Amino acid sequence: MRAVFGNRQFLALLFAALAIVPWVANPYILYIANLALLYIILAVGLNILVGYAGQFALANAAMFGIGAYGTGLLQVKLGVPYLLAAPGGAILAMLIGTVMAFPALRLSGVYLGLSTLSFAMLTQWVLLHWKSVTFGGGGFPVPQLDLGPLPIGPDLGIFYLSWLVALALVIFAWSLLRSRIGRALVAIRDGEVGAQSLGINLLHFKALAFATSGFYAGAAGALYAPLLGYISPEGFDLFQMIIQKSMIVVGGMGSIMGSVIGATVMVVVLELLREFKSTQEIVFGGILIAFVLFRPRGIVTLFKRLPGWEEPLSSFDPGRLPRPASVVDPAAAPASTIGGNLLGEERR
Amino acid sequence: MIFGYLVATGITTGALYALVALGITIVYKATHSVNFAHGDLFMICGFIAYTFHVMWGLPYLPSLVLAVIAGFAIGAVVERVAFRPLMGQGIVSILLATIGLSFVLKGIARGLWGGKGDFIPFPPVMSPQPISLAGILVTPQQLIVFAGAIAVMLLFAVLFKFTKLGRMMQATADNTKAAKLVGIRVGRVYMYTFAVGTAVAGAAAVLMAPITLLYPDIGFVLFIKSFAAAVLGGLTSIPGAVAGGFLIGLIETLTGGYISTNLQDVSSYIVIMFVLVFMPSGLFGGPALRRI
Repeated sequence: MRAVFGNRQFLALLFAALAIVPWVANPYILYIANLALLYIILAVGLNILVGYAGQFALANAAMFGIGAYGTGLLQVKLGVPYLLAAPGGAILAMLIGTVMAFPALRLSGVYLGLSTLSFAMLTQWVLLHWKSVTFGGGGFPVPQLDLGPLPIGPDLGIFYLSWLVALALVIFAWSLLRSRIGRALVAIRDGEVGAQSLGINLLHFKALAFATSGFYAGAAGALYAPLLGYISPEGFDLFQMIIQKSMIVVGGMGSIMGSVIGATVMVVVLELLREFKSTQEIVFGGILIAFVLFRPRGIVTLFKRLPGWEEPLSSFDPGRLPRPASVVDPAAAPASTIGGNLLGEERR
Repeated sequence: MIFGYLVATGITTGALYALVALGITIVYKATHSVNFAHGDLFMICGFIAYTFHVMWGLPYLPSLVLAVIAGFAIGAVVERVAFRPLMGQGIVSILLATIGLSFVLKGIARGLWGGKGDFIPFPPVMSPQPISLAGILVTPQQLIVFAGAIAVMLLFAVLFKFTKLGRMMQATADNTKAAKLVGIRVGRVYMYTFAVGTAVAGAAAVLMAPITLLYPDIGFVLFIKSFAAAVLGGLTSIPGAVAGGFLIGLIETLTGGYISTNLQDVSSYIVIMFVLVFMPSGLFGGPALRRI
């Protein structure tokens, strides 16, 4: 049966609606829409790593920052034009992201989370203290976007550039996860030893997941720099981490469409609460807890009832996974207490 | 001279890291997950003591006791909200829920006690005039912190080794299934584990508040440093966590004193990354288990 309304139509509709925003909305709404596009990129990239590949990494905000700083500093310090600096920033984040795959080979779960978190804190510290390069805590202004011969202003320019990049990256993620690579990532998530026994090279695929996710975060950062016109370390702190985490949880772990939906919804929530830092923290933390407790598979489960809705690969569903056995001592490992430790082994 | 002073400071802060690391370790031992909100629970207990002591004028000691009791209660609630319902759902759900909780607590503290970047002073218990102890200058406050931390550790050791609750906690951490079989209500033990861990963190917060200051973001910084301490100790060893706390305190103050104060905070991040990647069982941990 040919679907009348499914995920493809939803995506097309969303992006069509975003494309006409500049004609119907004021500059503030345009800015929010632009922010939503960036967070769509961030959430999709993070979901590839956390939701699909099952790597509980907490350094995405740092990758976002590295992309933004890379782009801004290439422009300011070396005078590289934006259209070259932006890919440069994204690729820098991708390279640093790839390096993080090496600890991830040995660590998972809590350990991976904390070591990547330490890395994120270290990045934040470098941005604050390496003043001769990063301008320290005060940040620095980034030149306006200049698209040269195209007859388009900086605001519209960055909006349509973001639109294009976001659409391309969502479609790319979609295709990637439908391919052999996506299946390999999910196999790693559901059990590393099982994946290895199927001939999946853990190093290659984990590195791929970290690199892809790093590139997505870096690309969002590269677009964020000219959008804001000013970069400072504050934008890439822990709160940024929880914004992105709550987006993928609200949307749905292990779902590309979920990330798109989650990012759009949470950007609106974020903007509504812009004035009050403490309320933002309580609301984002509370939403994260509420979704983990009551709707662990996110809003996307509502959309999945639509007849034409399909997702590449099954979504993150801990309940259905078989409970793992222990090789050490069946009684000693408290597998039953924390329910099947589904990210594979805790440590080696 | 400066060395002696740095060591004294390092041991004092180290004692606090040890207390917080203790809570992280017992929770990890019992539940095999890390409570990301542990540092923020510490911070909340500090603010509760501040409310009693500074805002309502209670003496220091009763404020400390009240903050510890509050910590015990809050820890129990946290277990019921962010841990118990998620027990069957895997580690990622628990971690995400505790991360969410840590931000809720931060937001509450920011809303109730201070705006962004507000540092709240906590009056010292004794005069800040340093005294000379075997040629080393220390402040009386440091001595109080050190003595208090040791007292809390001893109390905890007694609880863990000699009471029925402590033995149930040990049994649950050792082998959950066997503990269930002999009739221990494992869920309740988890709750007490969270509660005791938070109470210890609360004591640490009240001891520390007069030396540093209180601010809503202190929890996370402390969590990371104490996690580094717990990791150094192998994350499953209680003496290891205590030793790790002292070590991190010393590493930090010595780096700050001899290399650069800027590097003080970074040292614990580097310790975490290095230890986790190169010697994941820490300095005191047993052989690593591998579960599939």
